[in-house]
Amino acid sequence: MIIKVQDLYKNFGSLEVLKGINCSIKEQEVVVVIGPSGSGKSTFLRCLNKLEEPTSGTVIIDGYDITDPNTDINYVRQEVGMVFQRFNLFPHKTVLENVTLAPIKVRNMQKDEAEKKAIELLKKVGLEDKANAYPSQLSGGQQQRVAIARALAMRPKIMLFDEPTSALDPEMVGEVLAVMKQLAREGMTMVVVTHEMGFAREVGDRVIFMDNGQIVEEGTPKEIFSNAQNPRTQSFLSKIL
Amino acid sequence: MDIKTLMTDILPFLAVGAVATVKITILAVLLGFVIGLFFGLMRLSRNKLLSSIARLYISLIRGTPLLVQIFFVYFGLPKATGLNIDAFVAATSTLGVNAGAYIAEIVRAGIQSIEKGQMEAARSLGMTHFQAMRYVIWPQAFKRIVPPLGNQFIITLKDSSLLSVITVEELVRKGQIKISTTFAAFEIWALVGIMYWIMVLVISQWVNWTEERLKAGDH
Repeated sequence: MIIKVQDLYKNFGSLEVLKGINCSIKEQEVVVVIGPSGSGKSTFLRCLNKLEEPTSGTVIIDGYDITDPNTDINYVRQEVGMVFQRFNLFPHKTVLENVTLAPIKVRNMQKDEAEKKAIELLKKVGLEDKANAYPSQLSGGQQQRVAIARALAMRPKIMLFDEPTSALDPEMVGEVLAVMKQLAREGMTMVVVTHEMGFAREVGDRVIFMDNGQIVEEGTPKEIFSNAQNPRTQSFLSKIL
Repeated sequence: MDIKTLMTDILPFLAVGAVATVKITILAVLLGFVIGLFFGLMRLSRNKLLSSIARLYISLIRGTPLLVQIFFVYFGLPKATGLNIDAFVAATSTLGVNAGAYIAEIVRAGIQSIEKGQMEAARSLGMTHFQAMRYVIWPQAFKRIVPPLGNQFIITLKDSSLLSVITVEELVRKGQIKISTTFAAFEIWALVGIMYWIMVLVISQWVNWTEERLKAGDH
């Protein structure tokens, strides 16, 4: 198990956002997390690289207990790439610099080696011709593909996606999902919070339905989409499918 | 007063004061920038003690007149400590400490104006807090800080005129000295005013130019 979450609780002040999450994820597994807004799915994802500090419980990533204050979280985060809803590219840096910054500064990679690797990754997401552009010169879909390349440049073992297509115009959703599908085919361990049910059905090994801070139901896409057992899952799916 | 006296006697005399004003202002702003950067970051620190110290400093400086600060450092401190302070040193450091409080707020606001997602993206790539600040947050914040910083530069330049009260021979003091012998109050105060105005114009041009150059990287 590359990810192991036990009794994860997260409060924001008096608001309980996560109420006891238990979940294990295998290497190379693609897990899609769905649920209504406010169900805690993004918070759950952000606890997996400690962008949110869990209130209690344990999160073990590739053998490192990141809830232990003695764990070097900066080291573990190098193994866990994250893609954000709002891309969060660095606007003062070119596309190439966005991708090479962390490998150079964090992994101490040589600049030319990092750039070579970055060009390969930009090719992979179909944007090698944009290497010297600035993020603001790109469309949303292109920015998100750069963000994926930036995360992959650290050679992570796990990729987290936090509603990666929610801020995109509809015609750009496909290009981002295509990159994610390719990544899944190559065997990347992925946790994806999304409203793209087509993606969940096609690419997901497992679908987790969250509501009100808890995992209500989980199973293969087939089990969840065609044969949901829990009435809350059924009601959610009936509204969006 | 004839033009010749004005040009050969008064103007060179005032120019010496203007040079002193520029020197004091540049030193004070440099000192203020170092202090401001330091206390601006302290103010943002999660450490309660550090942020409280920064808050107190900023509040104290902004809550008291610069003139009182000057008197306190030049007349008050020597009385309490028995050590005499050189007027130039007292002047420059007081002006710097004063500018520092305002610059600390400029730095804080600049850093806080950067979207939270930038820090998160940097940290998610494994950068330390310091690396994220150094490579991601600060370069973006700095661009936003330049215009208010230029403003503070101008304010400090004009504030330096208050140092005349502790006999620092900057522009205003030089003007006073010259008036005491020539009684040409109209000509000299007009000239002093014009010289400040020119210095301010030069600074604002320089700030505009810097701003444009920094913008060149934006798209």
